[in-house]
Amino acid sequence: MKSRVFELICILVLILALTACSGKSAQSGATNQAAPSTTDNTAGTTSGAKDSLVVAMTADEGTLDPAVTMDNAAWKITYPTYERLVEYDGATTEVKPGLAKDWKVSPDGKTWTFTLNEGHKFADGTAVDAEAVKFTFDRILKIAKGPVDVFGVIQEVKAPDAKTVVFTLKNNFPPFLSTLAANYGGIVSPKVKEHEVNGDLGQSYLAEHTMGSGAYQLTEWKKGEYLKLELNPNASVKPALKTVYYKIIADPSAQRLQLEKGDIDIAEGIPVEQLGGVSALPNVQIVQQPSLFVDIAYINSSKGNPALKDPKVRQAISYAVDYKAIADSVQQGYATQMRGPIPQGLWGHNDNAKQYSFDTAKAKSLLAEAGVSNLTLDLVYSDKWPWWETEALTLQSYLGEAGIKLNLKKVAYATQRDMIDKGDFDLCLGVWSPDFADPFMFMNYWFDSSNFGLSGNRAFYKNDQVDGLVRKAASVNDQAERETLYSQAQDIVIDEAPYVLLYQKDYLLPVSKAVKGFLYNPMLEGIYNVAEMSK
Amino acid sequence: MGQMIAKRLIMLFFVAFGVTLIIFFLSHIIPGDPARMLVGQRASEQTLQQVRHQLGLDQPVWVQYFTYVKGLFAGDLGISIRTQQPVAQDLFVFFPATIELALLAFLFALIVGIPLGVLSAVKKDTGWDHGARVFSIAGVSTPVFWSGLVMILVFYGYLGWFPSTGRLDMDIAPPARITGLYLLDSLLTGNWAAFKNSLWHLFIPAVTLSYAQLAIITRQVRASMLEVLGQEYIRTALANGISGPFLLLRYALRNALIPTITVVGLSFGSLLGGAVVTETIFAWPGMGKYVVDSISYLDFPAIMGFTLIISIGYALINLIVDLAYYVLDPQIKA
Repeated sequence: MKSRVFELICILVLILALTACSGKSAQSGATNQAAPSTTDNTAGTTSGAKDSLVVAMTADEGTLDPAVTMDNAAWKITYPTYERLVEYDGATTEVKPGLAKDWKVSPDGKTWTFTLNEGHKFADGTAVDAEAVKFTFDRILKIAKGPVDVFGVIQEVKAPDAKTVVFTLKNNFPPFLSTLAANYGGIVSPKVKEHEVNGDLGQSYLAEHTMGSGAYQLTEWKKGEYLKLELNPNASVKPALKTVYYKIIADPSAQRLQLEKGDIDIAEGIPVEQLGGVSALPNVQIVQQPSLFVDIAYINSSKGNPALKDPKVRQAISYAVDYKAIADSVQQGYATQMRGPIPQGLWGHNDNAKQYSFDTAKAKSLLAEAGVSNLTLDLVYSDKWPWWETEALTLQSYLGEAGIKLNLKKVAYATQRDMIDKGDFDLCLGVWSPDFADPFMFMNYWFDSSNFGLSGNRAFYKNDQVDGLVRKAASVNDQAERETLYSQAQDIVIDEAPYVLLYQKDYLLPVSKAVKGFLYNPMLEGIYNVAEMSK
Repeated sequence: MGQMIAKRLIMLFFVAFGVTLIIFFLSHIIPGDPARMLVGQRASEQTLQQVRHQLGLDQPVWVQYFTYVKGLFAGDLGISIRTQQPVAQDLFVFFPATIELALLAFLFALIVGIPLGVLSAVKKDTGWDHGARVFSIAGVSTPVFWSGLVMILVFYGYLGWFPSTGRLDMDIAPPARITGLYLLDSLLTGNWAAFKNSLWHLFIPAVTLSYAQLAIITRQVRASMLEVLGQEYIRTALANGISGPFLLLRYALRNALIPTITVVGLSFGSLLGGAVVTETIFAWPGMGKYVVDSISYLDFPAIMGFTLIISIGYALINLIVDLAYYVLDPQIKA
């Protein structure tokens, strides 16, 4: 009898414990039903509502200060909240008037004069005038962090009157106009001085606030959860979307489910392997466009294995690779083999440039001509991009067929960057995308021998003739002439093959079918023209 | 007891010191350059040097360490390289979310784990025992990323009962901050909407996280119960006619809990640290996610701050465990 009671008590305790959990579950479920306003509200004010958009991104933002950040994730927030003197035009890489209605450049290319449009106001109510522009650029130069590398060419900024801004450059720098359309060209309200702490020029404040004249302003940032943009009451435009949420959801499956259920409108973090399933969802479309994001392999031309100094060996490597198979295996075919270092979609791209094809026999004969046999090389890569593992294995197999033994060296991303900077590799996987729309971003960074290391010339490639051509191209203002010079340089570097030009990736984005007006600009990848979008 | 606490707190100070020393030098051995992360990888050498100088990274490591420790005494954990905000302020934002999740998970684990362990012991080698074993072992051997996804799929995807991510709906204002724990703060301020909503958000992450700890608690309670039940005094008590459940709870469980407490304390510690995966899956804005982002940015001050907080947390939990021993069995001397 005793043991009966005892048993009963045990079971009761267990049931109690379990209902303590499920009781909460029932309660929460009941919450859901008893207070439908709560849940419906969520759906109502976020994704379901006509005037609000929810974008799911995978990581939280770091600093949002345009004078500090070099992380293009920040562009998502800063692009709609700041205006620039010039802006990228629609889906093209050309620039159009922004805060400036027109501009002139002196014949020597050193003086740029901008005339400002009237009627633009910061979210705090101050008018955007020449002083604000001058303040912005002086601030960048004084803070001297990342963006100073681009704007360091500025000698002086003057504001002779409220509508005129004059930039004096240290030397002629033709991509200057394009750099002004980039994130760091965002004009900041001089009122930020009120938030200065210990002479930081408002860096700490702007790290988590916005003070621009864009259509939106950042009104709430729940760290680790979401950022919320609302309209700038003083903006001249009146966008259809009143609220934009950028929600942080690192897990692709969670993103997919929320997209399916209509809780988010744009899902950034769904890997290419899972897109097949997503495209089958009835309420989702997948935006697919060629991007300027390229995936390449650096061949260390001066500090790596001595055999790599011979262009024939480098050509052999370029011939040994099946480009289509790589694009298919690592990008599910959503990629195009590169034709020359300047990708399709950016001016300066040469559609007739020579392209390496998959030809193992040719690779072998080139190696024989170079007098190289039993070549063993190290390929360095990291887990930075999920497809690199497969890409490395595929390269290993193709190069193996051509008689080159490839050792795979997988390291931490920070270590990989360090090794790239020191030239401590034979072959190394890498990606690149331009900060501003100018072939300068490819040709001068990749091939100028003064840029050895992480900053650009990661193949440690040196050719005096190429140095001369790209440097000259970076110092004349006539675009046609620049194009000719870059074209000549391209022919040489394609032939000398310091990089294996693998592919340019397609831009793929799952978007709810309810969203209208999204325009993809290859210079603004991951940035949404929210002011022109609607639902 | 006061003396013991004082002694332990002094020890804690040395532990924290040791931790700063080890982590600081370890993190500076890792190749890579946080200044590089900040200025972008295409920055010129000159800009890089300038930023290194601004961040004090051009100083010898021991000088950097000295500066850091000096800051610690002033309550300054340094400035995060990634967010450009004081680390203390960042952690102040993220810490409560992790604690709240871990505490609730801990509660679930205790509520289910202890009775399950008792049941297993009392019903040793019966279907109850085997069932409890399978249930708890399944928890410890299922990776959290998988069980978390299954939970999301079922409770959010199919049933639609719970939200899948976040701490609160985006249109619900968090309760006024008192402790930073939403449940507690909303109770204290009588904000029922926030209370219900945050409980509703906490539920599946907490269950997922607790399931992984269940087995440890269940198995430990079972083992200690079996040991206690086999002892002389229990048999004596039985002979003296003390009834089953009373005996079980008043004498057996109380004694069985003493060895369990150590395990439970450690289990809470690993809930804190192990919340990283759970936080990622459920987009839970806690320290785990913060520190993962910081690591990929080589944000030394943030990594240091996180490690320091966690190690102090562990040490405090140990102290609490010892105090609990003391309360349960005054014969144990500090």
